Amino acid sequence: MCGHCGCGQPELEHEHVHADGTRHSHPHHHDHEHSHATTIVELNTRILAKNDALAARNRAWFAGREILAINLVSAPGAGKTTLLERTIRDLDGQTNIGVLEGDQATALDGDRIRAAGAPVVQVNTGTGCHLEADQVARGLNELRPPARSIVMIENVGNLVCPAMFDLGERAKVVLLSVTEGDDKPLKYPHMFRAASLMLLNKIDLLAHVDFDVERALACAREVNPDMSVLRLSARTGEGMTAWYEWLQREARAASEAAFV
Amino acid sequence: MHELALTQEIVAIACKAASGQRVHVITLEVGRLSCVSPEALEFCFDVVAQGTLAEGARLDIRRTDGDELHVMTLEIEEAA
Repeated sequence: MCGHCGCGQPELEHEHVHADGTRHSHPHHHDHEHSHATTIVELNTRILAKNDALAARNRAWFAGREILAINLVSAPGAGKTTLLERTIRDLDGQTNIGVLEGDQATALDGDRIRAAGAPVVQVNTGTGCHLEADQVARGLNELRPPARSIVMIENVGNLVCPAMFDLGERAKVVLLSVTEGDDKPLKYPHMFRAASLMLLNKIDLLAHVDFDVERALACAREVNPDMSVLRLSARTGEGMTAWYEWLQREARAASEAAFV
Repeated sequence: MHELALTQEIVAIACKAASGQRVHVITLEVGRLSCVSPEALEFCFDVVAQGTLAEGARLDIRRTDGDELHVMTLEIEEAA
């Protein structure tokens, strides 16, 4: 068998058919007796053009309804769902929150959000490691969030892939928990660079872990000097007020931006 | 593995622009800050391109310094 392409022909004789129907054979690493007439097509197309166009459509959809959309990202287990549960319970009666819950599989997180009292649509990505803009559009179609509400998009737990895919959100919020490494912003710079706010979660556990808060903040500043940072514990509620104030500010800004 | 999703986009863009002709070379620009591994693109490409006009095509990946992620040109067989 030919060792180059596995075509089943002897090593020196390789037969193939051209698009114009010409059949010929020749050894590999040959000069062609006829030329493959080819032509160059200039494209200069962004690979993410389709996702970005759908994200822009989502963004306009949110703006038209004065909805604040947040893309919540972190490694698995950093506390995204716990943060949302407490936020929903604490802001009950003040703010309408709807959730798009992204996970590879199961409706477990969606059930937790529903139990906390918010409408939720579970988006299972299957083998997908991140949410894409069209999944968010389909989720919104089902969620039907009211005007001037907040839509929390809980992305798949993953600090790599979700950084690349714009969903149409106003801001990415990244959670870093103190049970992770304090050098994580340096190890996953794309995600921390893409985020507007970092929530340092699980600070109630600081006494029990080796996490160096100052080092984590320095690492975060190094990759993204413009990122705000809040320290909190979604479990005990410590520091959550500042997060709610941030959300209210962003909601007002989203509302004002709708009229530009 | 976001490269799989990106490769599907690359193949879709190439096949659409090829207007029914076989694709020989796809030239990409992949920036060093783009969070994309050229090796992973190559790895996914053969599988994703199978059964399409881009099957057997070569990826010519040019590294740039920014966060570019572009399909620059296609070399396709000329229409008979």
